[in-house]
Amino acid sequence: MNSLSRVFLMTAVVAAFGCADLAIAADAVDADAAQALIKKSDCGKCHAVDKKKDGPSFHETAEKLKGKPGAEDEIYKHLTTGPMVKIDGKEEKHKVVKSTDEGEIRNLVRWILSR
Amino acid sequence: MDNNKQEVFAKVRRNWKLVLGLGVLGLFAAVLLVIGGAAGLAWTSTEAFCTGCHEMRDNVYAEYKDTIHDRNRTGVRAICTDCHVPREVGPLLLRKMAATFELYGHMTGVIDSKEKFEAHRSDMAHKVWKRMLQTDSHECRNCHKADKMDSDKQSEKAQARHAKAKAEGITCVECHFGIAHKEPEGPGPQEMKASLTK
Repeated sequence: MNSLSRVFLMTAVVAAFGCADLAIAADAVDADAAQALIKKSDCGKCHAVDKKKDGPSFHETAEKLKGKPGAEDEIYKHLTTGPMVKIDGKEEKHKVVKSTDEGEIRNLVRWILSR
Repeated sequence: MDNNKQEVFAKVRRNWKLVLGLGVLGLFAAVLLVIGGAAGLAWTSTEAFCTGCHEMRDNVYAEYKDTIHDRNRTGVRAICTDCHVPREVGPLLLRKMAATFELYGHMTGVIDSKEKFEAHRSDMAHKVWKRMLQTDSHECRNCHKADKMDSDKQSEKAQARHAKAKAEGITCVECHFGIAHKEPEGPGPQEMKASLTK
């Protein structure tokens, strides 16, 4: 391989790693933003991070969906469509998250799944 | 003995103006102490006093901002003392005396950084929850009277929850925790209750 080809190869490798880094950064969770959305949406009324309340704790949800493909989409749908949930044998409508920003909601979902 | 007593009374009668003056001064000093004490208790129960220390202001007070007890439709608020200091005189005075140890903590920097605060958050929360579990969420009930709750004005969800709580002897804090401050790691009130009643 001549020196010019080596330069191109190295550039391609560095660019590839750079893109990977960007991808990882894009998936990084903004904990402050997630917690702010939790506060705004009053999720804390029924969900604690790792303790018992009316709904499952975020930790419980994260454990249940660990490694499951489509987990993020499943939770995203749960938060945005207001499905019926069963509490004490009675069905109630789950509250819809107070945001229309998909990025903001997905950040929250990723935060929950990382508890 | 009788002679001594008579001598004392005679001395008092001879110096009655001095005795009266001292008595009035003593009464005045006592009144000042009582007023000063009451003023001190009142001042140390204000939001401004509690948040005078950055440990509180930058952590739990910042978290409390914009929660339901801080900002809501009617503007009726619950400040630090409403939840953390008893209103009854005896327990209030005891709590105020115990709080002087917090001065020592402040001077020795026990929780004077975010990292130190987070390291102690769990302990502090558990102390509060333990007290609330033992007193049936007494401070909550200072304002929230269960028998004065108009269930017609509550959502169906709230009605169902409160009926269950009444039937099963669940106290406020078992469900209503982490409402003013960030939830710490570790067991919550329900888990603590289980271990307290064992």
